[in-house]
Amino acid sequence: MSIKFLIVDDSVTMRRIVANSLQNLGYKEYVEASDGKDALLKLSEDDSINFVITDWNMPNISGLELTKAIRGDSSLSKIPILMVTTRGVKEDILEALNAKVNNYVVKPFTPQILKEKIDQIVSTL
Amino acid sequence: MKKVTNMTELFEKLSDLKAVFSYGQKIIPVLQSLIDFMRDTVPLLETVNNSIAESTRQIPKASHHISDVTSATELATTEILDIVDIISGEIGKLEDNLAAEKAKLENRKNVFEKIKAKLEPTAENKTLIEEYESYNESLEAHEVISQILQNTKNNVFNITLSLQVQDITSQQLAAVNHLIENVQDKLASLILDLETSDFQNENVQDSDDIKIIAPENSTFNPDAKYDKSTTNQDIADSLVNSAKASQDEIDKLFS
Repeated sequence: MSIKFLIVDDSVTMRRIVANSLQNLGYKEYVEASDGKDALLKLSEDDSINFVITDWNMPNISGLELTKAIRGDSSLSKIPILMVTTRGVKEDILEALNAKVNNYVVKPFTPQILKEKIDQIVSTL
Repeated sequence: MKKVTNMTELFEKLSDLKAVFSYGQKIIPVLQSLIDFMRDTVPLLETVNNSIAESTRQIPKASHHISDVTSATELATTEILDIVDIISGEIGKLEDNLAAEKAKLENRKNVFEKIKAKLEPTAENKTLIEEYESYNESLEAHEVISQILQNTKNNVFNITLSLQVQDITSQQLAAVNHLIENVQDKLASLILDLETSDFQNENVQDSDDIKIIAPENSTFNPDAKYDKSTTNQDIADSLVNSAKASQDEIDKLFS
């Protein structure tokens, strides 16, 4: 199955790091968005996107709000979402799970962790 | 008889009045000291006021410097990532060339085996074959080079991952900036109090009040840290995977 990622992060550095990590794992197709608002626009323009990797703290629309928006939209609700964030406390993780993220990675991440979480989600697609 | 009583009362009142004057004489130096102290304190308060006003004026500059640091580190990180991409690309080309060379070497070896089978097993041919084989490159050498390239590629990729520190420190700096803005607001309100009314001691906040509280929907995490331990990831994994992340618990937390 061909996977096209949407990498959502307000940090240019993090978008590049995630993109490089995906390429290193053999995934070549991805698009980038600088915040949740931009991500929703990209999702509306490109229906081949089938995996979202998002940060939490972002301007305009946060990663948590983006997750809720995706889950609340019947045409997007099945897209898997991996939250990659610095927020590592239990309450935050539970809040993300409550919003229905598929998995959760705490920054700074290792390539092994990212691969493991992506593989876990991909295996269910 | 009544006149005698009146006179006694009068003397008693005069005696009380004398006591009051005598007490007044004692209190006057104390009052004078208090007035002198107030006279000395007013310029001091004025100096404090000016100092706070000056500090408040400097705060936006400090905040601006912090934003500049974030921009500079982001720019430097981008440059590093550009170089890392170039190095990775070159390693990729080397790996491709090495793979092509390895394939040629294997083909050459196969052809040589065929030639060797066709040659007469004379002593001279045997010596020539041995000499040729001693000059021939071994596949083992290619494997070693290939392994070195792979290690270099992994190390270069680890540089990329370490650059996550830029995102984390930029969030920490954003949190400090937010704290500075809060301090500025408090100082500004203190100046207003000093200028418009008597010095109000309760307006000076305890240091405990000055803590970073991220506003709703902030673009930074005030608790961001570059922690390479897996403690937080382990918590996340256990919550994602175990029954602790059951819908009941989540609902309870957010009900």
